[in-house]
Amino acid sequence: MSGLLEIQHLSKNFDTTKVINDFSMTVDEGTICCLLGPNGAGKTTTIDLITGRVKPTSGTILFANEDITGRDEHEIARAGVGRKFQVPAVLRDMTVRQNLEVAYSRQTNPFWNLFKFHRAGLKQKFDEVADLAGLTRRLDVIAGNLSHGETQWLEIGMVLMQEPRLMLMDEPIAGMTEGEIEKTARIFRDLRKTTTLIVVEHDMGFVRQIADVVTVMHMGSLLAQGTLSEIEANARVREVYLGEQEAA
Amino acid sequence: MGNIYHNKTAQWLAYAVFFAAIGAVPLFQDDSFLLNQLATYGVYGMLALSISLCWGFGGILNLGQGIAFGLGAYGMAMTMQMQTQTESNPIPPFMLNNSLEHLPLLWVPFQSTAAGIFLAIAVPTFFCVVFGGIMFRARVSGVFFTIMTLAMLSAFYTIILDQQAYTGGANGLSPPSALQLGSIEIDPYSPIAYWIVFVFLCASTVLAKLLTQSSFGLVTQAIRDDSERVRFLGYSVAGYETMIYTISGLIAAIAGCCWVMLVQYVSPAQLDVGFSLSMVIWAAIGGRHSLIGAMIGAFVIQGAQSYLGDTFLSTWLLLLGGFFIIVVRFLPNGLASLLEAGLGLLSSRRSSAPHGNGAGEPVAIKEEAY
Repeated sequence: MSGLLEIQHLSKNFDTTKVINDFSMTVDEGTICCLLGPNGAGKTTTIDLITGRVKPTSGTILFANEDITGRDEHEIARAGVGRKFQVPAVLRDMTVRQNLEVAYSRQTNPFWNLFKFHRAGLKQKFDEVADLAGLTRRLDVIAGNLSHGETQWLEIGMVLMQEPRLMLMDEPIAGMTEGEIEKTARIFRDLRKTTTLIVVEHDMGFVRQIADVVTVMHMGSLLAQGTLSEIEANARVREVYLGEQEAA
Repeated sequence: MGNIYHNKTAQWLAYAVFFAAIGAVPLFQDDSFLLNQLATYGVYGMLALSISLCWGFGGILNLGQGIAFGLGAYGMAMTMQMQTQTESNPIPPFMLNNSLEHLPLLWVPFQSTAAGIFLAIAVPTFFCVVFGGIMFRARVSGVFFTIMTLAMLSAFYTIILDQQAYTGGANGLSPPSALQLGSIEIDPYSPIAYWIVFVFLCASTVLAKLLTQSSFGLVTQAIRDDSERVRFLGYSVAGYETMIYTISGLIAAIAGCCWVMLVQYVSPAQLDVGFSLSMVIWAAIGGRHSLIGAMIGAFVIQGAQSYLGDTFLSTWLLLLGGFFIIVVRFLPNGLASLLEAGLGLLSSRRSSAPHGNGAGEPVAIKEEAY
């Protein structure tokens, strides 16, 4: 069975350092996959490789049975991959409303966009996302003035506006309150009906709430993949990852 | 609600008043010399507008706008020069002085007025597409792009200066008679010439304004803010950057054509680094984020130069430099930000409702988005 995203024998070297080393994984459509691993395991680099920010040294990445290896960022985004950054990246000089509008990127051609003043279908999606992100009353605020939690939500909202088939969330709940984390978990579980998610997260409580599959990376390679209970029972994982945590 | 400065309807109204005022000038002014001078200010206004669009709005600082302006101007001058050549006298005099016996291939298309004017616009536009495309695709941005435009400008300047037999060298081209369009002669000192410039200025401003309000404008603004982020939303950043750079170049090329129509002259000085720098200074002083502000910057500086420059001679440059430093230091967004702050104060006094940002900075409110 082929998944929505298939990473095969992916490697990335920075000079002589092997950051990603023969890493393979498959993500099935409609699931939430949590990517775990100690610092420097290569989680964010993997996300960079999938979204085209970094070009792999070798290996292939298939998205919906299409080879997207080494393509440009915008082409991969257009194919249906949305991304939220580890350090929330919103357009800080623009209003919340403008941020969400820009993210609604069905029409990306610069020439056609010259003649577009009203975007079809935007309003409905916009209201839905603004409501979900809890930003309905903050639409005219400059994004740079939002609190950290609100900024996280705005970026999640931007990814939702893109309507991607695959969402890559790099530490989405950092800086959120308990209540906000609960809400995020609920929304992510709902999203599973229409999209597939890969979530990089350290918070095990959050992972427990949302993960269908857990993938553990270590030193740029796949260490283990399975359900959370399988992972927790895995001796090697305990050794390199959970073990270290207990010791710390 | 909010600052009226950011109200779209108010902005369009201000544009309408502004253009009605400058369009009506020939009705009250019959000094043809002054009219011609004011029309050249209109050309400078178009150049400031093109810089405002590219730099203020697109975030791309172009110190080589003289390329598009100069190529447009040379194209127009070549067309006007060829209009005065007859069958018995088919070669411009300066070529004969450089012992050319045949009209060079480069000049042949300019024998037709339509083809000549088309090339005067198309060549600089095509240059922008190619140069911008190569640079932006390679992700050359910020100050590196600025340096490349400067280098490119110097290259063009040198080539034109050097190829005397084809370009007239340092003397440039001075077509002996005014532009003929069909059977009509466009007297550069007539209201007709003024209105031609006015129509182009008005049309390019309206189109530029619409562009900033379109989806393209929204994406361009986002790219200025954080180009890296915008890539991951699916937009080709290079495509958008090339587009805004080219549109800006197109306006400058049209300005170049208008300029030669008014002054019947072009020389490498139009591709001098100093001239391209002054375009940027107009936009910076007037306010690069405001199309109209940039234009007014051009009018004010060039107007002051014409009148004060005669009085103060070279001290004028010192005055201009000092003024520039003061504006950059105290009004980094130019004179237009004075108006923005003034209107902001007015509207906040009228409604005591807080804007939601405590710093007292004007909050950009985007009215009716759908």
